[in-house]
Amino acid sequence: MSILYDEGQQAIATESRRVLEARVNKDELLPLLEVTGKFHDGFWNTAKEQGWTALALPEAYGGLDLGLVELGLIAHQAGRSVSGAPFLTGSFGAAKAIELYGSDEQKAKYLPGLASGETIGAVAFASGSNALPVLPCVTLTDNRLDGTSTGVAGGLAADIAVVYANGPGMPVLAVADLSGVTRSAIDSFDNSRLYADLAFVRTPAETLVVGGAARDAALHVLALQAVIAAHEQTGGAEAMMEIARDYAVTRRAFGQVIGAFQSIKHRIAELYGFVELARANCIHAASREGHADFVTAAAAARISATEAYDTASRDCVQIHGGMGVTWELGLHLHTRRARSLAIEQGNLLFWEDVLVDRLTGEAA
Amino acid sequence: MSDLDAYRSKAAAWLESMVPTYGKEARKGLSVEEDLAVARQYQRAKFDAGYAGINWPTEYGGQGLGHLEKVTFDSEEMKHGFPSFYFGISLGMPIPVLMQFGSDKEFVKERVLKALKGEEIWCQLFSEPSGGSDLAGLRTKAEADGNGWKINGQKIWTSWAQYSDYGVIVVRTDPNVPKHKGLTYFWVDMKAPGVTVRPIKLVGGDSHVNEVFFDDVKITDDHRMSPVGGGFAVAIATLMIERYVATDSAGFGPHLDLFVDLAKETELNGRPAIADGRIRQQIARNYAMRNGLQSITARAMAMMQAGMVPGPEGSLNKLVAVRSRQKLSELAIDLQGSGGFAYDHHASQKENWTSSWINAPTGRIAGGSDETLLNTIAEKILGLPQDHRPDKGVPFNQIPA
Repeated sequence: MSILYDEGQQAIATESRRVLEARVNKDELLPLLEVTGKFHDGFWNTAKEQGWTALALPEAYGGLDLGLVELGLIAHQAGRSVSGAPFLTGSFGAAKAIELYGSDEQKAKYLPGLASGETIGAVAFASGSNALPVLPCVTLTDNRLDGTSTGVAGGLAADIAVVYANGPGMPVLAVADLSGVTRSAIDSFDNSRLYADLAFVRTPAETLVVGGAARDAALHVLALQAVIAAHEQTGGAEAMMEIARDYAVTRRAFGQVIGAFQSIKHRIAELYGFVELARANCIHAASREGHADFVTAAAAARISATEAYDTASRDCVQIHGGMGVTWELGLHLHTRRARSLAIEQGNLLFWEDVLVDRLTGEAA
Repeated sequence: MSDLDAYRSKAAAWLESMVPTYGKEARKGLSVEEDLAVARQYQRAKFDAGYAGINWPTEYGGQGLGHLEKVTFDSEEMKHGFPSFYFGISLGMPIPVLMQFGSDKEFVKERVLKALKGEEIWCQLFSEPSGGSDLAGLRTKAEADGNGWKINGQKIWTSWAQYSDYGVIVVRTDPNVPKHKGLTYFWVDMKAPGVTVRPIKLVGGDSHVNEVFFDDVKITDDHRMSPVGGGFAVAIATLMIERYVATDSAGFGPHLDLFVDLAKETELNGRPAIADGRIRQQIARNYAMRNGLQSITARAMAMMQAGMVPGPEGSLNKLVAVRSRQKLSELAIDLQGSGGFAYDHHASQKENWTSSWINAPTGRIAGGSDETLLNTIAEKILGLPQDHRPDKGVPFNQIPA
């Protein structure tokens, strides 16, 4: 896979940017922060209509047979526009788990719906502070799930979830229909992510993969999602850098635009460094799918993208002064998203450990 | 295998064959003078093997290949610690400028060939005690003297001046106009009467940089390489020549693997340091940063191969890599605790954390300070305004000192 975007890929980047900039604005996103259970229909309808849900899935099941590079480009733009729903990553993760580890029957059952966007998927791997526990707190016995998955992104709206469970005594990846599951909404700082605790009680589930392979599979799915999330974070960081730059060349103080002060211009130049390192790591990671170093590359992308988005969001607000902390200006849409994306699919601490384990040969 | 891959593996094999004669081990314990003599032989071997002047025109003794081959060879060469650094400035800037702006073609050809063979070395006389980043604020002057010029003043930080045969120099020929407009570019014979070179010992113990004094140094007008008053443009052209150079995501310090090895063999609180979260975090962050820089470089190479112009993000390399190398070197010394005091000023800064640490500040200052690079990124890439410059448009001799 080349690290240079070809014409088709560049067209995906341009077109997704055009569409999202036309259809997403802060006036529609801000109210979503103050309620639970609502996401931005405009974004999700666009994703379905543009075929983004099908992009990285196999043609045989209604997909477009493209990959991480193309979905990453969409996610980058979704990040720039603070996308109004978490399903691009969630449904993709659930679909990849089924595509890579499910039976033909399971693929035929779930993938077409996920590809069209009619089915919304979620991934429920974490147990509290642990992104991928040795033994999860949700159990699977006799093909039924019991226990609670916490803080599942998209959990309030998802139709199915791929769950990492204790099956029993060994890890297992299973897929469950969520129609009978009790969902408790988490009133969060970024409510359009639809975070929920999912309480499973004798919930029927189908096994995808069992034992040590289930843990490797879960890590691989997380890594795939992490690359998409990293693109989204990089897009958000890039937007914050540009917003900071645009403000610094117009706002005046002490007789000149504030961008002429080195404390401001160097801060923005440093952001450029964060953004470009994150972008480079994202492009590299997307091109490494299927190679032995994919998880390492995904970890590097995730680490630099999280650093970039947090830093850009922090500094952009600082450069705006008092205006930066107003509800109306909406910079906090990014500030909030920087943190919610930092936690989803494993936080910095998790990926740092994954990376160092790989570098020191502690993980195969 | 692409042509470039074939070129790379052939170069790698040739370089490998040079290690027993010119590698670090072979040169251990040599004085600088002895080392330079060996370095000249190595440069001659490169010339004979077709690895000198890789991207220069064949009419000047070069190979007529592209940037890509040059950068490819350089990144392979960098792995071995060969003594190519004595010629780095000479072949990197003054000689290419001479090829571009030298007026006497026969003279130029002779100089280029001797420089390529390692027989002659050129230095670049830009910085002065009164200003480094502010190049156009220089004070060394050249006054009309009969049919030629007479130079008086002082340059500083001139790499390898003590071994140089010639130098290129920017001087002030008119103090009555704004600072950029009164400069002229010449070449000088470093052995001419009135030129005095005084080495400066740096904190790491070596003395590769110098002060250079000019006392009534007389040159003829055919030494002039720019129009009178047009020297600044040529100076900038000099700095732009090597836009795409071989980079090192380790900031010319030790590879991250060496830090991982150190953390594995060092005990911290009764267990291996590699198990300590603080150490692990630094490894992870540094890996991500270096991997990003390598990906930027790989993309730039791929773009050049495809006939495209690489993006400006390549300018991040020096800024980001050297700064973080400095911090990682501090941590590596910390890790060794009371075992970390030893210092060998002959040790390589690519292999020894203490040497890397003590020499790191030079890397953050030479060839564009961190602050200058940030200004360049802010102004040229992001379109932010220039700093407030009270000397702008003011005749040089009216700028308050």
